Amino acid sequence: MAPSRRSDTGPSLGSRRLRALFLDLLDRSPTAAEREHWRGRDAHELLDTLTASLEFWENWLERELYYFLLVVSFRPTSERVLEIPSELAGGHIGVREALRRIALSPSFDRRNPGADTFCTVMLEQFLGIVVQEKPRLLESAKRLYDGRSGKFLGGSGRSQADVVRLVIDDPGTLRFYLARLHRSFLRTEAPERELRRLSERLAEGHGALRSILREWGRSDAYEARLDSRRPLSNRAFTRSLFVDLTDALPSPEEEQRMRAALDGLANPGPLRAVVARLLLDSGTTRIPARDAIEDPRAWIRELFDHLLTRQPTEAELDAFVSSLADPACRPETVVYAILSDPAYPTW
Amino acid sequence: MQTHIPPRSPDRRSLLRLGAGAALLAPLPRIWTPRPGPGKTRRVILVAFAGGVRTRETLGTPGNVPNLMRMAREGVVFPRVRTENLGHFGAAMTLFTGISEARGIRDNARGGDPTVFEYVRKELGWPADQVWISTSGGAQQANYSYSLHPDYGEAYGANTLDGDGVFNAEFRSIVDAYGKPKELSPREAELLARMRAALLAGREEDSQEDAASFARVESFLFDELRNGTADLRGAGAADAKALRVARNLMAVFRPGLLGVVLQRADVAHGSYNAYVEVIRRNDAMLGELFDAVRKDPELADSTAIFVVPEFGRDKDLNVRRGLDHGDGSDDLRRVAMVAWGPDFRRGAEVLEDVRSIDLCPTVCELLGARARHSRGRRLRQLFA
Repeated sequence: MAPSRRSDTGPSLGSRRLRALFLDLLDRSPTAAEREHWRGRDAHELLDTLTASLEFWENWLERELYYFLLVVSFRPTSERVLEIPSELAGGHIGVREALRRIALSPSFDRRNPGADTFCTVMLEQFLGIVVQEKPRLLESAKRLYDGRSGKFLGGSGRSQADVVRLVIDDPGTLRFYLARLHRSFLRTEAPERELRRLSERLAEGHGALRSILREWGRSDAYEARLDSRRPLSNRAFTRSLFVDLTDALPSPEEEQRMRAALDGLANPGPLRAVVARLLLDSGTTRIPARDAIEDPRAWIRELFDHLLTRQPTEAELDAFVSSLADPACRPETVVYAILSDPAYPTW
Repeated sequence: MQTHIPPRSPDRRSLLRLGAGAALLAPLPRIWTPRPGPGKTRRVILVAFAGGVRTRETLGTPGNVPNLMRMAREGVVFPRVRTENLGHFGAAMTLFTGISEARGIRDNARGGDPTVFEYVRKELGWPADQVWISTSGGAQQANYSYSLHPDYGEAYGANTLDGDGVFNAEFRSIVDAYGKPKELSPREAELLARMRAALLAGREEDSQEDAASFARVESFLFDELRNGTADLRGAGAADAKALRVARNLMAVFRPGLLGVVLQRADVAHGSYNAYVEVIRRNDAMLGELFDAVRKDPELADSTAIFVVPEFGRDKDLNVRRGLDHGDGSDDLRRVAMVAWGPDFRRGAEVLEDVRSIDLCPTVCELLGARARHSRGRRLRQLFA
C-alpha cells in the first residue's frame, strides 16, 4: 500500500505503532512488504494512507455488520449494501447514508423480525437508548411499524420505513456512532460536547469521518491509547494470524469459519492456540526451514519485533536460540511459543 | 460432530449486550469461578445413567462397573432410589425437575416445570457458559435444557452439546482443510515449555497461573483433536461420546453444573448381552470423567458427582432374551445412585428409601440455590 501524501510530520513508525495502526484501521497486521515499506516512516502518513484506502472502508462495513449481527446467513447481499465501501471511499455517501442502507436492507429486517424486536434494535443499536427506561418511545415506534400514524422522535410517520428514517435522521444516531468509534479507536469515553461537535461535522460532509480519524490519530489521546493493550476480536485475530504466518489474508470463507468456531466458545484463547498450530503445521506458512536460518539470533529478534512488537530480553533470546539449536526443535515450534504468549492476541 | 450451542437462537438483546460489539472491546474472560454454596461443593456433575439400568447389572455385578464401584467406595451409595416408570424421557426429566414427569415415550416437547439448570442460573445469576448438558443425541434430549415455565425458561437454560463436542462444525471444517497438528516429540515439548517459561519469567503470579491453566486446556484440546470422539464407535458409542464430551467440558469450561444424559442401555429390549456391553462401556467412560475430576486439584476439591439411572428394567428376560421395562417389579422401580463429592460421607451406604425427585433439590441446595417447585427433599443422608 503506497503512501498518499505527507500532510505533516508525525512520530516515526516502530513495530508497535505500525501494528497498532493496521489493527485499529484494518483489523489485521501489516504484511511483510508493508512492514518493509513503512518501518521508520511517518506515522501520520500511514494514518492518512490507510484511511484513504478502499480496504479501510471495506473493513468499516464488516465491523458494522458484525455490530448489527448481520453475519453468516444474515449477511446482506444487496448491491446497495455491498457498494457502501466504494461509495464511502469515493466520498459519494457519508456514514449516515451507510447506516441507513444497512437498516433498510432485507437482511436487517430478517434478523430483527417483528415490531418489538425491530424497533428495540433500532433504538438500542443506533441511538444507544435503553428501551426498558423509555417504554413509551418504544410503543410509539411500534405503532409506526404496524402502519398506524403517529409521532416518534419528534417526527411523523406510519410505516417501518418511517421508523428507520426518523431514527437514522435523529442527531443522536451519529453521536452514538461516534461514541462507539471513539471507544474503539481511542479506548476512552468521548465527552458529550465533543460528540455533539463532531457529529455535526459528520452530518455535513461525506469525507468527515476520515478527517475525524486523522485528527484522533494525531492526538495525545492516541499516544495514550498506545500504552494500553486489549484482546483482539476473533476476526482480527484470525486475519492477523494469517497475515503473520502466510503473508496473506484468509479467504472470506476461511475467515468466517474460524470466527464462527472461535465465537462459539466463552474463552477462545486455547482454541486460538490450536488454530495457530493447525496453520503452522499445514505447510502453508512462510516459516523458513532450519537450514535457511543463517542467523538464529537475528531471526528470533525479528520474530519478537514482528509478533510481540518488542525486542526479546537477553534471557528470552538465550532460551529461544538454544532451543532452536536443538535438533528436536522445529522453527515452527519457536514461532508457536511466541504466538501462544498472552501478548500476541492483544494490540 | 454436531453441536447445539446454543440449542436455540440466542436472545438477541443478550447477545448484543454480552457479545458482539462488546466482545470486540472486552478483555478475555478469565475462567469463571462459581459462587460457593454452603459447603465446599461449587460444581456438580449429574449423570443420568439412563436408558433403563437395573442395579443387578451395576452394583450387583461389580465386574461390570469397576469405576462406579471406585466412586461408591469413596462416596455414598443409595441402593433404594424409588423411581416411576414414566417413559425414558419423562423419568429422566424427573431427575432434572424434581417432579414426576409423565411424558409419552415419543413426546418431544419441553416440560412445564423448571429444571435444575434454570434454578441455579436464575437464583445464582450464573452465566450461560457455566451450565451445560451433554446428551447422547436425539431431538428429545434437547428438551432437558430448559422448561416453558413462565418464571424460568429459555433465558436460564443450559447449553446443550450432543456427542460430538467442543469442536463445532466450523472448527471441524478447518481441521479438514488444514489437517491435524503434528504431535510434538517429548523433547520438542520440553523445549516449547522452556521457551514459554522464558517468556513468562518475571511476570506476576496470576500470569503464571493463567499460563499453566492455558497449557492444560491447550494440551487437552490437542489430545481431543487427535483422539476425539470420532474414534468412539460400536455399541453405545453415543453414550460414550456424551461422557467424553462431559469430560472435555469439565476440562475446558469447568462449569458449575453439568448434566449428562445417556440412553443406549435401552438396547436391552432386544439383547441382554448388548445391554451389559453398553453398561460396561459407559462405566469405562465414566471412569475417564471421574479421573479427570480427581486428577485436577481444583476440580477434585470442589466437584460433586451423582450417577443414577432414570429407572430400572424388568425382573425377567423377555422372549428375545432381552429386558423390557413394565412389570412393576423392584428391579424396575428401584435403582441405585452413587454420589461422590467433597461434602459427602465416604464409603457410606444409605439403606432407607429415597426418591429420584430428591436429586434436583439436593443439587440446588449444594450449589446455594432452591428448587422452589420441586416436590423432592434434600438428601440429608449424604452428609456426615
